[in-house]
Amino acid sequence: MAKIVEIKGITKSFDDNVVLCDINLYIEENEFVTLLGPSGCGKTTLLRLIGGFETQDSGTILFNGKPINELPPNEREINTVFQNYALFPHLDVYDNIAFGLKIKKLDKELISEEVSKALKMVKLEGFENRRINQLSGGQQQRVAIARAIVNKPKLLLLDEPLGALDLKLRQDMQYELKEMQKALGISFVFVTHDQEEALTMSDTVVVMNNGVIQQIGKPEDIYNEPKNKFTADFIGESNIITGVMIKDYLVEFQNHQFSCVDYGFKPNELVDIVIRPEDIVLSNKVENQISGIVDDITFKGVHYEIIVVVDGKEYIIHSINKVNIGDEVSLLFGDEDIHVMRKSNV
Amino acid sequence: MSKLKKLSIPYLVWMSLLVILPTILIVLLSVTDLDIFTLGSFQFTLDSFAYLVHPEVKIAIVNSIRLSGVATLISFLIGYPVAYYLANMKSKNKTLIVSFIIIPVWSNMLLRIIAWEKLFYPNSILNMFGISLDLIGTDLAILIGMTSMYLPFMVLPIYSVLEKMDRSLIEASKDLGAGTIQTFFKVIFPLSLSGVVSGTIMTLLPSMTAFALPERLSGGKTLLIGNIIEDYFMKTGNINAGSLISILLMIVIIMMFIGLLRFDKEGETLI
Repeated sequence: MAKIVEIKGITKSFDDNVVLCDINLYIEENEFVTLLGPSGCGKTTLLRLIGGFETQDSGTILFNGKPINELPPNEREINTVFQNYALFPHLDVYDNIAFGLKIKKLDKELISEEVSKALKMVKLEGFENRRINQLSGGQQQRVAIARAIVNKPKLLLLDEPLGALDLKLRQDMQYELKEMQKALGISFVFVTHDQEEALTMSDTVVVMNNGVIQQIGKPEDIYNEPKNKFTADFIGESNIITGVMIKDYLVEFQNHQFSCVDYGFKPNELVDIVIRPEDIVLSNKVENQISGIVDDITFKGVHYEIIVVVDGKEYIIHSINKVNIGDEVSLLFGDEDIHVMRKSNV
Repeated sequence: MSKLKKLSIPYLVWMSLLVILPTILIVLLSVTDLDIFTLGSFQFTLDSFAYLVHPEVKIAIVNSIRLSGVATLISFLIGYPVAYYLANMKSKNKTLIVSFIIIPVWSNMLLRIIAWEKLFYPNSILNMFGISLDLIGTDLAILIGMTSMYLPFMVLPIYSVLEKMDRSLIEASKDLGAGTIQTFFKVIFPLSLSGVVSGTIMTLLPSMTAFALPERLSGGKTLLIGNIIEDYFMKTGNINAGSLISILLMIVIIMMFIGLLRFDKEGETLI
C-alpha cells in the first residue's frame, strides 16, 4: 500500500526540553494508526507537527511523497479533530460544518448537500440550526468530526477526541469511528493514552514514551510481543519479572528454570520476563512450580483479580475461579506464555 | 443572609441620597415650572420641550453625535490593532505593558485637557521644536482630545476578549483551510465583537456627554450637549430645560447599556 505520510528523523524541543527525539514513522493509505503513550510522551506534539501547528527542529515530513515542512496548516490536505473540539461558538452546527467548504468557495447547493451527508454520517440529522452551546459533549464531538470529514481530507488527525466522554459513549464512538474510517477509506491518526482504546480501534499502534517510539506494530503484536518493559507495563496488566536467559529456549526466574519460545540472547543475559495475568492458571500447591500465598482477591465482573505473593514478589492473576486469601497455590503457565525481553534503560 | 443585607445599608443610603433622590428631582424639574431656588409655583408643564428645537440645542446634538461618533471610530481603528497586538504578545511583562495603557487614565482628566489646550495654541512649548499649532476651535482639536482621553476604554475591553479567546479556534480555522486574513474576519473578529461593543459604548458615552473637553479645546466655540446642560444650569439659570435634556440623555445612555447587555450577557468585557 502507498504511504500517505512519511516522517523521517523528526526532532523537536521546547526550550531545553526535548519532546520528540528522532521519530521515524510512516502511515499508509486507509490505515488507522494510534499514537499511544502516557501524558507528556510527545504524542500530541507529533500530531501537531503533522497538522502543521508546530515546526520541527530537524527532520522531514513527506505527504504523498512531497515534503510539507514549509506548508502552513491551511495548505495541507489534512484535517484535525481537536481535543476540546474547538467548535466556533458564534456559528451554528451547519455553519461550523460548512466552514471549510465555504473557504473553498464551493457552490451553495453543493455545500448544503455535503453538510447533510456529513451530519448523516455522524448521526446528527436535523441539528443544522442548533447553537454549539446547546449541544452535549457527545454531540459536540460528532459535530467536530463532521466538520473535519466534510472536507474529504486524505488524512484525519484526532487528538484524544474521546477523552471527555463517559465510558459507554466512548465505547460506542470507538466503534463508530472505526466504521467511519473504513467507510471513508482515509487514514486516521488517533492520539490517546488509553491502551484499550488503542488496541480496539487500530490497524497499527505506535507506543511512545519520553519522546521516543518504543514499539510500532499490530495491536496483537504489541500486546503479545512487547519489545520492552515499558510497552509491556503500559499495555494491559502484566507481571514483569527479572530473570536470566540461560541459553536459547531456556530461561530462569524465581529460582526455577522454564523452557520458553524465545531465543537470540547472549548466554546468561539478564532479561525482563512478561507473563500476562490471564495466562497464569492457579492450582493447588505442586512441587517444582512457582508457589505462593493468596494475598488479595478483588471481584472485577468477568473475572477475579488475585494477588499471589511469591518470595516477596506480587503476581497479578486473572481467574474466573474463586480462591481464598491465605491459600497456598502454584502458578502454572505454558512455554508460550513466557515472553522474554531485553532489559531496557527506560 | 440578613447579616449581609445590613452590610449593604450604607450603600443604599448613599445611593438614595446622591443618585435616586436627585434623579427624581430632575425628572420633576423637567416636567414642571418649579423654581428650585424660590420654590414658588409647582405646576405640570411641557414648556421645557420647546427648548429641544432651539437652534443652539439642535446644533449641540448634531455636534455631540458627529464628534463622538468620529472619535469612537478613530479610537476603534487605532485601538483594535493595539489590543490585538497586546493579546498576542508573548512577553513575560505583558501585564506591565498593558498597565501602561491604563496609567494615563489615573491622572486628572481636566489636567490632561488643559495640557492639550496649551499645545494647540500658536504659542506653546512646541515652539521649541519649531512647531506652532493653531488648532483651538477646530474639530480636529476636539477629536484629538477625545481620542487620547478615551482610547484606553476602547483598547481594554477588546484586549480582554482577545486575550481570553481559545487559541485552538484559530488553529481549527487554519486547519479547515482559512488563511490568516480569512481567519481574522471569519473567526477572530466575530468572536471579539462583544469587546468591540463594550469599547464603543465606553468611548462613545463619555465623549458624547463631555463638556469640559469641548469647552477648553474649542475656546468655547463648539457646543456639545454637555455644554448646553452646563449653560442652562450654571449661566442662564434655565434649570427646568437643563433637567429635561439631562433626562433625555440619560434615557439614551440606558438604552445603549441595554444594547450592550444583549451582546455581552455576563458583562465580562466591562472592567
